[in-house]
Amino acid sequence: MNSMDPKALRSRVENISTIPTIPSVLKQLSTIIENPKISLNEISHFVSQDPALTTKILQMVNSALYGFPGRISSVNHAVMLLGLNVVKGLLLSVSVFEIMHKAMIGLREHSIGVAIASKVLARMKGLKEPEEVFVAGLLHDVGKVILTLSWPEEYDRTVKEAESSGIAIFDAERSRFSETHAAVAGWLAEKWHFPRKLCECIANHHRPQTSSLAPLETAIVHMADVLVKARGLGYSGDRLVPDVNAKAWETLALSEADLREILKELEDSVEQTEEEFRA
Amino acid sequence: MPKIPTEQLKPGMKLARPLQNSSGMVLMAEGTELTEARITKIENMGVESVYIDGPSRPARPREELLAALEERFRKAGASPPMALIKKAVRAHIEAMYE
Repeated sequence: MNSMDPKALRSRVENISTIPTIPSVLKQLSTIIENPKISLNEISHFVSQDPALTTKILQMVNSALYGFPGRISSVNHAVMLLGLNVVKGLLLSVSVFEIMHKAMIGLREHSIGVAIASKVLARMKGLKEPEEVFVAGLLHDVGKVILTLSWPEEYDRTVKEAESSGIAIFDAERSRFSETHAAVAGWLAEKWHFPRKLCECIANHHRPQTSSLAPLETAIVHMADVLVKARGLGYSGDRLVPDVNAKAWETLALSEADLREILKELEDSVEQTEEEFRA
Repeated sequence: MPKIPTEQLKPGMKLARPLQNSSGMVLMAEGTELTEARITKIENMGVESVYIDGPSRPARPREELLAALEERFRKAGASPPMALIKKAVRAHIEAMYE
């Protein structure tokens, strides 16, 4: 297959509801989240119709990661405490995670790891909303899920190609699809009306130096991705640690002790969070 | 923080994570010290395993983890940041076996 026309690629991705292989729960959720005027009540109503989804969301927000262990009893309450954008992100993540596991074994573990490392980094750097960076971490690779569901054979070949020639997955994607999973996820994040900072973080996690609205947040997700790959948690399409971007590294100014602290928190949280998503 | 199967729990162990029911409500707080009565309660809830305070060792041998680390870094550049990241991960892995 030759490289795809980027416009055709984008239009297909943005119309995920027409892709037959995308599961209906994600299609429904996508339609709801796309609405910029979505209210708290509508979100709550949608979630409450699906007891499994309700349980997963409550488990997630009640986990130690959020600092409200066991105290959030309803989706309404979660939205009040965490904000609509974070709850939207979590909803998408829990629905995507089921598919993620089938689409690429290990991608869920990788994504959870990046989310946790992002949150630890955000706290270290004194960001006011570490939860939004956590969501960016959770969703940073959602483009891989969309690509593999939309073009299963081509994507499978892309992964094999990256593996056999020892190149990074995003380079293999670019040569086959003309764009990378990061761009794909960025388009979706925009379509889902996530805050622009969050979209930028997701779209630029492999080239943090180009981020203009959220350079610190993007550097965080980029660094978290590098660290999780360095630690070897999960699988994200290749088994290589990408070089950390020089500008992002400079922005974050981490010491060896900082890196050790992030790795330690990562190790402690990953297993537990994974179980919460699986339950 | 090892995960211990319920049948191997002993009084005096401390929960490293809160014990929650399926909707996330806390049944026993983090740091709760286990007693015979509490262990019975955990068994009766049908919980298979819980997180207990203390270090947990990886299932795979140290040499295997370190070899995999080298393999992952084989294409990484020799820049000072990459060297520092690798050093930190290596120290982190070694600390898991102490």
